Amino acid sequence: MQIPENLRYSSDHEWALVEGNRVRVGITDYAQDALGDVVFVDLPSVGAEVAIGGVIGEVESTKSVSEIYAPVAGVVVAVNDEAASTPDALNSDPYGSGWLCEIEISDPAALEALLDAAAYKDLTDH
Amino acid sequence: MTTELKRTALYDLHVDLGAKIVEFGGWDMPLSYGTGTVAEHRACREGAVIFDVSHLGTVEVRGADAYELLQTALTNDLAKVSPGRAQYTHLLDEEASVLDDIIVWWRGEDSFDVMPNASNTSRVIDAIGGVDVTSSRCVLAVQGPKAKELVARVSPEAAAIGRFRVEAITIDGTPCVVAGTGYTGEDGLEIAIPNEAAPALFSRLVEAGVIPAGLGARDTLRLEAGLPLHGHELGAGITPLQAGLGWVVGWDKPAFRGREALLVEREQGPRRLLRGFKGLGRQPLRDHGVITAGGGVVGETTSGNFSPMLECGIALGFVDTDAQIQNGAPVSIEVRGRSVDAVVEPFPFWPPKER
Repeated sequence: MQIPENLRYSSDHEWALVEGNRVRVGITDYAQDALGDVVFVDLPSVGAEVAIGGVIGEVESTKSVSEIYAPVAGVVVAVNDEAASTPDALNSDPYGSGWLCEIEISDPAALEALLDAAAYKDLTDH
Repeated sequence: MTTELKRTALYDLHVDLGAKIVEFGGWDMPLSYGTGTVAEHRACREGAVIFDVSHLGTVEVRGADAYELLQTALTNDLAKVSPGRAQYTHLLDEEASVLDDIIVWWRGEDSFDVMPNASNTSRVIDAIGGVDVTSSRCVLAVQGPKAKELVARVSPEAAAIGRFRVEAITIDGTPCVVAGTGYTGEDGLEIAIPNEAAPALFSRLVEAGVIPAGLGARDTLRLEAGLPLHGHELGAGITPLQAGLGWVVGWDKPAFRGREALLVEREQGPRRLLRGFKGLGRQPLRDHGVITAGGGVVGETTSGNFSPMLECGIALGFVDTDAQIQNGAPVSIEVRGRSVDAVVEPFPFWPPKER
């Protein structure tokens, strides 16, 4: 199970790549493995305002569906249309080409609430 | 309280092969292996896959009265076939609801192997008697356009068995029963083999190039092929006529359970019919989705998923006959409270029809 050191994580199995006040969001390796083959991704709209823990989309496999929760609050400034047309990227490259959206955050302090790689590893080990 | 789940004799091999195991009908079964459901699905359409379907029941019905027992209990007419053939058939209740759908392997004159769905085995024994031998054998389903070519590397004799034929042969000295049947819409074989010899045969077929596939792919394959699943397209309150399976009914037989009710329905015409639906996008359609057309509710889906070959959502569902919905008509199908655009599409969805 890959858990890159440079990312932050939510307990809902999303990752966050923080670059200034822009946060790129996706689902973790653990989440994609639990879901199985992802065949459909429902992404938020650019410009949508999101609250922490708010539903921003859905990821669906042949066997189940999982909601995507915003790990941070802010405004959606980009979505990965490629992931919508080739959802298997979420399985093959969850931390790379399988990213879902980018959120511009208003309160960088909120990032402190996210888990680091070690804490997320602890979560998935149990 | 938890109930102990049953395991097939292939369980340890599945785990060694990297299977994700799930509970299904009281059994611990492989959902998928390392490459995942979609890859297993495509492997079955393009090459060959192998499923462990040992959780399906086998009931041996033997004796001079066996033929008559089956003829009066089950819908299809054995007189249309002969020993050495397999036949798809239904067990109905008096109201013509489908209690189970069954494959009968007619082994020899007075000898039948009746194969119900896992959870319906006791209903079938109640209706026709026989001996449940499910726990003594495994059933391997090898399916796909290359299934027979790859089986031939292990057993040319098995590979020579034709569609809906049944033969008792030996594979590596082990007595097996092989039938040209399956549940994927592809050519293939189902091999019943004693438990102790099953892991070796499964492994040899995998070494020959057959890809192991789990229940996830089995379900998407049968849905794409428009094949009914009991508990979804068949079950309480659903008749063979509503499911579009009138061909399973031996109308010329003087008696079988449910015949009177079915004759009435044939006379009046079924009040609803099973139809196919194709989503306009990739979103998987799901079961229990309300179907609306022209502003009104016309039916409900019974199964739905993503079609790996068509790369769109597909579903089966019952539509009221009165609604007079035509193929190609636009409909909305509810998925988790939201409406998804779809069209009525004749099934099987795969192979695609000539345009």
